[in-house]
Amino acid sequence: MNSSTLSFAGKASTGHSHAPSKDPGVEPFSCDVCVVGAGAAGLSAAHAAAACGTSVVVLDAFPRPGGQYYMQPPAAPLASAKAMRQVTDGAALIAEAERAGARILPGREVWGVFPGGGQPERGTSAAAPSDAGGFTLHADGDGGAVRVTARAIVVATGAHDRVVPFPGWTLPGVMPPGAGQRLAKLSGTPPGRRTLIAGSGAFLLPVASSILKAGGEIAAIFEADNRVLAAAGIVARNPSIWGELARLARPLFRAEFEVHRGAVVVAALGDDRVRAARLAPLDTSGTPDLAQTFEIDDIDALLVGYGFRPHVELTDALGCTHDFDEAAGGWICRAAPDTFATTVAGVFAAGETTGIAGSRPALLSGRIAGLAAAESLGFGDTSGERRYLVERRRRPAAFAAALATHFTPPAGLAAAITNDTVMCRCEDVTAGEVRAALADGADDAFGAKLWSRAGMGLCQGRVCGFGLARLIAAERGIDPEEVGFNTPRLPLRPVKLSTMQAALKE
Amino acid sequence: MSAIVITVDGDRLPARAGMTVAAALIAADRPELRRSPRAGTPRGVHCGMGHCFECLVTIDGTPDRRACLVEVSDGMTVETSR
Repeated sequence: MNSSTLSFAGKASTGHSHAPSKDPGVEPFSCDVCVVGAGAAGLSAAHAAAACGTSVVVLDAFPRPGGQYYMQPPAAPLASAKAMRQVTDGAALIAEAERAGARILPGREVWGVFPGGGQPERGTSAAAPSDAGGFTLHADGDGGAVRVTARAIVVATGAHDRVVPFPGWTLPGVMPPGAGQRLAKLSGTPPGRRTLIAGSGAFLLPVASSILKAGGEIAAIFEADNRVLAAAGIVARNPSIWGELARLARPLFRAEFEVHRGAVVVAALGDDRVRAARLAPLDTSGTPDLAQTFEIDDIDALLVGYGFRPHVELTDALGCTHDFDEAAGGWICRAAPDTFATTVAGVFAAGETTGIAGSRPALLSGRIAGLAAAESLGFGDTSGERRYLVERRRRPAAFAAALATHFTPPAGLAAAITNDTVMCRCEDVTAGEVRAALADGADDAFGAKLWSRAGMGLCQGRVCGFGLARLIAAERGIDPEEVGFNTPRLPLRPVKLSTMQAALKE
Repeated sequence: MSAIVITVDGDRLPARAGMTVAAALIAADRPELRRSPRAGTPRGVHCGMGHCFECLVTIDGTPDRRACLVEVSDGMTVETSR
């Protein structure tokens, strides 16, 4: 039981190439613990599990490990000491995990997961633990197709921007803040010459700073939340973040950009690209007052987002139970606080997958999950260290939770969604079509998808899911939780049929 | 950061090694990458992290590549479908 079983059938290329291989050969790996996601939580989990003696394979979709917070830029100049520290801390995490024996395979997106030794049972579209135990994960990408059999899985797939559609949001130049951050931090490129940032959340400030450092101009930031004093109270009670906040606020004092509060973007304007934004103040119910709109022009980039949503496709495909917590990101994977074990035996989840909390809680939950996964396979007793980590995580997690309640998306945002607003970008489904589906009898996210195709495209509703839930909830006068969410379909990411065939046949 | 040249829809554009194709196109003020399937409206980079599939372009002859995930290399050929 206590022996490591990492085996490599061939030499894997851990680098990235510029063209996908024409040969759909699938490289097999076998390990004790497969970690999905090489960000803060995943790297931390991989390191912990490997240090316990388990064999660990880490799969990550991006060309380089590091995730979002510890992004490893190959080309961008590191414009500040803090940016430099994030990169070097990330590099150290990667090195530590590898030194402990974890095998990191970047450039591989998981497109399928099945219980047991590899072959899907006829008729199953999602995995559940089989009697034999273990799982088979299939991943593909520029790193090359792989098939990983693992005795346990740690899902640390992170999060993506939470967006709500508005008229014009499909125009080139309109992106969520996370996209602007990646462009600036990873490539040293601002999202445009002059960028307007709007939405909600503590993330908007660092995005503005990154864009300034990349040479872009910030028209302004519009933060929807206007409870300045309450937010200040939360900050005052958490001295550990004062330094970072002072650094982030420095451009404010230098008047490099202005932060306005209490208004949201209700339309992006432009013909073939964004040229201006229309905003409206929020009334006391959190509904934009469309009688009092104003415009900000002379922009070529518009970043709008309302915090983040966890990536829960993999945990959902694995059959894990999810709970609804709007402040923590919406649908989050349920995990036990002392092990980060999900409701499915052998599956652990860590980091943002279990609720948006930021990098520090993610590092700690990753470590807890990695230790617990190793322990579940017979690699020692980790309960003492886990108890200590749970205690250490309490404060930063509570801070994140308190702050998050301030930045939940305004309740009445759907009021700005006109009938010709595109809801589902993949399938070009408008709000009018969704409303018609609801009038015809669709009453939840699944019904809306079947009736209108909203959420049926390549992104599987990752982009439109939150906005659709808000629209359906507003139209029906119900809670977004009641709208539910659409279970992802395999393949979770587009994959060539030849690759799929090779992966499932071998 | 070494300066390199890529070809986008027949035009030679400067880029820096290691930046993404998406960044190179935005830096060159070419935000439109394709038209949407049904309404034919212009689309560009959206999520910037590989999950929305809005930034699909043809890179070195391979169609449907995500511009936000692929890093540029010297001599790379990119075709948008705008």
